[in-house]
Amino acid sequence: MENRKYKDKKRYLWALIIATVLFFLVIQASTFISYLEFERVASLQDPISYKIFENKLEYSLFDKDICVEDSFKEISEDLKYQGQLIGQLEKKFGINDPRVIFRKKFYTLVQIEHFEFTKVINEECNRSINSILFFYSNKKVDLDNSEGLGNILSVVYQKNDENLVLYSLDLNLDSNIIGNLKEKYNVGEEPLIIVNEDQRFTKIDNISEIERYLE
Amino acid sequence: MKFIEIFIYLSIYIGLFAISFYVLSMISAKKKVVPEYKFEELPKASILIAMFNEEKTIKKTIESALNLKYPKGKLEIIVIDDGSKDKSLSIAKKFEGTKKGIKVKVIHQENTGKGGALNAGLKIAKGEIIITMDADTYAEKNSLSAMARFFKKPEVMCVTPSMVPYKPKGIIQRIQHAEYLLGIFLRSAFASVNAEHIAPGAFSAYRKFFFDKYGGYEVGNITEDLELTFRIQYHGYEIENCPEALVYTVAPTKFKELLIQRRRWYSGLIENAFKYRKMFSRKYGDLGTFVLPIAWISIFLSVFFLFYMLIRGISDIISEVSFLISINFYFGSYLEFNKYLLEKVFFTYLTDPVIWFFLLFIGLMIFYARYATSKIGKTGSLSISLFIFLILYPIFFGFWWVMTLVYNLFNRKIVWR
Repeated sequence: MENRKYKDKKRYLWALIIATVLFFLVIQASTFISYLEFERVASLQDPISYKIFENKLEYSLFDKDICVEDSFKEISEDLKYQGQLIGQLEKKFGINDPRVIFRKKFYTLVQIEHFEFTKVINEECNRSINSILFFYSNKKVDLDNSEGLGNILSVVYQKNDENLVLYSLDLNLDSNIIGNLKEKYNVGEEPLIIVNEDQRFTKIDNISEIERYLE
Repeated sequence: MKFIEIFIYLSIYIGLFAISFYVLSMISAKKKVVPEYKFEELPKASILIAMFNEEKTIKKTIESALNLKYPKGKLEIIVIDDGSKDKSLSIAKKFEGTKKGIKVKVIHQENTGKGGALNAGLKIAKGEIIITMDADTYAEKNSLSAMARFFKKPEVMCVTPSMVPYKPKGIIQRIQHAEYLLGIFLRSAFASVNAEHIAPGAFSAYRKFFFDKYGGYEVGNITEDLELTFRIQYHGYEIENCPEALVYTVAPTKFKELLIQRRRWYSGLIENAFKYRKMFSRKYGDLGTFVLPIAWISIFLSVFFLFYMLIRGISDIISEVSFLISINFYFGSYLEFNKYLLEKVFFTYLTDPVIWFFLLFIGLMIFYARYATSKIGKTGSLSISLFIFLILYPIFFGFWWVMTLVYNLFNRKIVWR
């Protein structure tokens, strides 16, 4: 049998060019969509911070009744939702992306504002909303421990979401407020859980270890 | 970037390259002028119908062959009963003689398998063109004449039609309906670079000269049609495709039947690809250096990704469940729907390039299917078939291959019937 001729060798080159163009076109398009999605998700942070500030100001300046349960519950749920979205942003763009870091700093401020607001509600409304401060670390050496603690805390939260608010704070975030909190609560470089500003945990095996300190 | 991610993107790139190549080849083939017989010039043809326990379908198959539009006196039908134990033979005998100007012969022999039965038919066939037709196949009346016109070119040894399942119903047949439609595009694409390597034995036309020179069907080969196609390519001849020639096959309706069919096909593919492994070389042009390697790479990647997704999915579920059990988690709360879940779906998936590539490939599949329907017309609800196909076919395809490999590894015998 004679060697069979190629129909057209140039066609391989054209196919390669088309495939390359298509490949990078789709990558570019998805990067653009990622950017749009980031903008959309980021813009969701503004209404919640506005709501918290509005409630606090109305209470401190105009003595507004802050014991209306729905308002607090709604804000807490939004806060949790925001935290989850931050987690998604980190996964998608990486923990070192400047846009993600900025959003995290802003989110940290909103969390602390909410934490203070929770304390006010507990005092003024005679309630016992539990708070957990979770200082986590994204450093490679602490990642497994942080993820393990985070998983357990998310389960604790799901079981006790009626009277528990969880605040997740990145130990390594370059922010003054984190520095001050670390100093205030005497936090080192290891991941740490503080329940109701009192009980401290660096390791947990079972959710009951934490639940016993919830009111 | 992780190794698996690089592997995924590399696979996508190879897929895009192959599709671009085939589309370009088809565009260029459209401009090509092929010598064709006029209707009255068509050479004498013999239809061989091998049957084994086909009492349910043989009558309709013979009637379909009798209805084929072909120059008067140039067509004969030979029915070979391969030792049926049901009423197939007596049903076929009723057609013996000359019907509608077509001579019908019925011969009976002890069971030898499909290859042996077709060889018996070849011995008495008088046609210059041989058409093999399964006993559960029905052809549109213009199909044969449309296919036979390509034999004007002396190098053409085989012409393939467009096959689709007959009146597809239910999930199993719908999956095959979409698969066959996509196959119509691929077959045309392969033919555009003379690299068609799978001619359906259910209805394909061959030049008798090839059988005379290189022998008949290989008896005992579980996919004798595939072996013949490979042999034609091996000897450097051409295989043409006629997408306008519509032929229906009765597709399996049950999962088990389909599994058995695919196990046979895939085992035959392995066996014959190994037998003709010399074709994987530059000597065979586009077929040897591109089409065949890409076909095997696609099979490997499909099976690999199925396994990867399956193992990863199961391991993720196991680790999540064991973690939740270890901390006394209440599973009921997982069932609660929240807006975060929806947001996560949007954010995680819409920003993932792999999802966009996946959508691009779905778009291409729709284009393939549209190409098929533009050639053969509507043969059932395309959107329903494609929807079921996209969900289930990747799983089925991987499963069939795994079962085939397992069977071959343990030397289990696979037979035609």
